[in-house]
Amino acid sequence: MRTTRRFRRLVQGVLLVLLAAYSIFPIYMVTVESLKTVDEDVFGSPFYVRHPSLEWYQNLFEEHEWMTHARIVTRTVPFLVWSRNTAIVFSAALAVILLSSLMAGYALGRLRPPAWRGWRRVLLATFLIPQTILFLPLYKVVFHLHLDDNLLALVLTYPMLAIPFCAWLFSVYFQKLSPDIEESAYIEGAGRFTAFLRIVLPMSWPVVVAAGLFALGVISSDFMFAGVFLPNQWHQTIAAGMATMDVSLEDLSVVSGISLGGLPVLLIAALFAGSYVRGLTAAMIEGA
Amino acid sequence: MAQMVAAPSGAKNGQVFGRGELARRRHDVVVAYLLLAPAVLLVLGVLAYPLGWLVEISLTNSSVLDTSTKLVWLGNYAGFLRDAEFWRASANTLGYLAITAILKMAVGVGIALLLARPFPGRPLVFVATFLPWAYPGGLGAVGWYWFLIPPLHSSYSVFMGDLHLFFDSRLGEGTWGFISLIAFNVWRGGSFVGIFLLAALNGIPEDLFDYATTEVKNAWRKFWMVTVPLLRPFLALATFLSLTGAAVDLGNVYYISGFRNVYPIVWTQAFHLALFGGQWGRAAALSLILMPVLTLILFICYRVFEPLEEDVA
Repeated sequence: MRTTRRFRRLVQGVLLVLLAAYSIFPIYMVTVESLKTVDEDVFGSPFYVRHPSLEWYQNLFEEHEWMTHARIVTRTVPFLVWSRNTAIVFSAALAVILLSSLMAGYALGRLRPPAWRGWRRVLLATFLIPQTILFLPLYKVVFHLHLDDNLLALVLTYPMLAIPFCAWLFSVYFQKLSPDIEESAYIEGAGRFTAFLRIVLPMSWPVVVAAGLFALGVISSDFMFAGVFLPNQWHQTIAAGMATMDVSLEDLSVVSGISLGGLPVLLIAALFAGSYVRGLTAAMIEGA
Repeated sequence: MAQMVAAPSGAKNGQVFGRGELARRRHDVVVAYLLLAPAVLLVLGVLAYPLGWLVEISLTNSSVLDTSTKLVWLGNYAGFLRDAEFWRASANTLGYLAITAILKMAVGVGIALLLARPFPGRPLVFVATFLPWAYPGGLGAVGWYWFLIPPLHSSYSVFMGDLHLFFDSRLGEGTWGFISLIAFNVWRGGSFVGIFLLAALNGIPEDLFDYATTEVKNAWRKFWMVTVPLLRPFLALATFLSLTGAAVDLGNVYYISGFRNVYPIVWTQAFHLALFGGQWGRAAALSLILMPVLTLILFICYRVFEPLEEDVA
């Protein structure tokens, strides 16, 4: 009896180590690759790096003189510009997604207008529309709104990738959250808005984190919209820029760009992973 | 005007609103629609024109070569239904969706069960499993592509090239590209499903599992008779989300491969037909033609994850 238990724990331990290795391995490979010199890239081992160098990372920030409209010193790979653009687009899109999903979720879960279940289903159903060709007519819309080559194009189109699920999550959560929670505030004479802001929102932050992290995952997965709507490299996000960069034998800048661009998202994800799970549980099962 | 409004299904049964409450209810409904408006506009509003355009053009013979566009109604669709190649492509598409969904479920259930009980170092393994999904997919796709289909000479390209050749020579051109796409999607999506199911397991009272353990001794049977039924709605929702994930990853990998790897899949063929063949009408029809099947899958998923949308008892 004792030995079987010990055996079980051993198996579990081995499986867990394998799981961690499986999860991290590709990220590890990208990191190793980005630290290699050309020499080692060709003749070295794929699994480790003997003489790490940061030349590809430096490449991303290297300054060169370029003639633009006026004589301006710029960077060959405008990675800083891409990073700034990405930060702007992601924070704006996240704000739009969270705000509109919260509003919709509260409306559907708490106020329950006629056909509220139907609205929820219709929103979710949009996930099924095939996007391979859709982005071409979408480009027409963006073009007509004079948003092509403008970061706003992504702020306008990203929400549709995340709102359906985020609104679903919030609405299911508010549906399960006991109405007694705001009751005391109403007795004190507070309106719906005050009660929401003072009582409901503070206790709901794991769900907000869950929705936010989901949205971040979805919009950082996008490539097509960014690539199609932002042709000018000075207006691109990291993902769009990476897609236009060429990889050659002497240039692994793309790989270093990938690992550098992924870093902030990984940090945010690692930081909020626990709340993400708590938020999902709260929304789908408990209600609080 | 003192019309009685039936209580919403969430309110206490049988309760009917009085005059004052009716006004309040009407006010609430107006507020609800106002709150709903931004989300609906950002989703349905943004999609309305592109989708309408796609449907409309799929009913015509619109093409770059022939500018006299005329209505052919369902002709494009009917043409594909008679085309053996189309049937192969749609079998591939559904195969891709099914294979990735099943593999992601398997990986996800494994992750969730492994991480469900506490053990030393769990937070670390937990964060590690979270990373594949959190690692920006757009960037990850670039990484995966360069590694699995190496375009340059480097330390791993010989090995990968051999693999590439091995599969393509035995199973036909493009097999390795297809496998790498599946691997990429499963790595990413399996992590998402795993964390999702972990959240579900955390919320299901442990007594239910413990009680079941006294009834069912065999671990394998316990899994099928207890764990799976308890997780069923969550599995359905995860399946639904993983189908969309599969489509997104397909698009990304296709895009960064410079549209070179034409996966034998309906959507990339539609894309190819549009951009390189200029046959917009047929391409639009091809991209929409699987909608009935997808809608069917959607409705099945809706039915199964319905319990998650119920009020608490």
